[in-house]
Amino acid sequence: MKFLFDLDGTVSSEETLPIIASHFNIEDQITALTMETVKGNIPFIESFIRRVNILGTYSVTEIAELLNHVNVYPLITDFIKTHKKECIIVTGNLECWCQKLTSRFDCESYFSQCIVEDDKVIKLTSILRKEQIVDKYRALGETIVFIGDGNNDLEAMRHADISIATGLTHRPARSLYAIADYIIFNEKALCRQLNQLL
Amino acid sequence: MSSTKSVVISCAGIGSRLGLGLTKALVKINGESLIAHQLRLFKNVEDLRIVVGFQANEIIEEVLRYRSDVTFIFNHHYFETKTGASFYLGAKHANNFIIEWDGDLLVHPDDVNKILSVEDEFICYSDITSDDAVYVKTDEYGYVTEFSRKEGDFEWTGPACINKKHLFYCTQNVYNMFEPYLPMKGIKIRAYDIDTYDDYLRVSEIVKSWKLW
Repeated sequence: MKFLFDLDGTVSSEETLPIIASHFNIEDQITALTMETVKGNIPFIESFIRRVNILGTYSVTEIAELLNHVNVYPLITDFIKTHKKECIIVTGNLECWCQKLTSRFDCESYFSQCIVEDDKVIKLTSILRKEQIVDKYRALGETIVFIGDGNNDLEAMRHADISIATGLTHRPARSLYAIADYIIFNEKALCRQLNQLL
Repeated sequence: MSSTKSVVISCAGIGSRLGLGLTKALVKINGESLIAHQLRLFKNVEDLRIVVGFQANEIIEEVLRYRSDVTFIFNHHYFETKTGASFYLGAKHANNFIIEWDGDLLVHPDDVNKILSVEDEFICYSDITSDDAVYVKTDEYGYVTEFSRKEGDFEWTGPACINKKHLFYCTQNVYNMFEPYLPMKGIKIRAYDIDTYDDYLRVSEIVKSWKLW
């Protein structure tokens, strides 16, 4: 049994992008991009590339430090730490930005990758497709539980054995209602269900 | 109530026989939705699980007005399956003892408390009130010995409680899941389900005397 967690809004109790945008005073730019993505006018992959193009010009160290202080859900964090061999964080965000944050959970993590020079992102080298991580562990014979809240979790949830859409930070993407096995809006209820699945 | 028990409310159906264009959980009984009423009855149940299908989003939003710590389970095949499938989906990752409860069932509050305190498998039945009932036959100790479409001593209304080890996938009615384990302890209760518009009118009148609202 492996529990694969989306990071933003699922394990973290606040969205990371607005925090970064606010810190560097680029809220208008990022908000416009987010709105167009949410509306479906810009595909997720393109949106991510554009986001990296904007944020990549800022200090990697500074962004990583910002994200390291993002609030996380305490009960979910306890669950992950208690079952660290069974839990995996799967985020489309860049490793150089999120690694410090995910190291707080002491479990395996997967990210998108890039080349960093002079503390700036100079080239995106891979964009994580979360469903590939689901497939990888399923091929090893594991039963996969995927927990996420965004439209970019849809395929991973479709590939997983058990999918849990969460609405802890905001309502889950409506697309998940069509494929999820469970939908849970409360941290305590989520942890109860995770323990029942063990 | 024991924390080793879960309650599964099945609300996935389309409520076609009722003819109100609403899934039954959202039907208003004396001004309050049926699901809101059930949430009040189960306020002390920790692991409350609601199976949704037709109008899932509307049910979810209605429930969240009252309580956020519910686990919602999707029955995506609600059109092709019956209550047995919804109960299985709601129960398969739940606690060891699971109470099944149809979303269209109204049970007298005093009987609800009695049911929740029972620490074993059981089947509930009531006096016969429906024209198109599933009947139960009982022995001299009140144990349920048989379900029947033709005749019986009482009417099967649910709820019922099963040990998870006895659970199996079933696309048919939930009582079919209990048939292999008969005879099973029976509990007589005051319960009414709402299948037709006549049921709806009748039950709305009956529950006025229950002092629920």
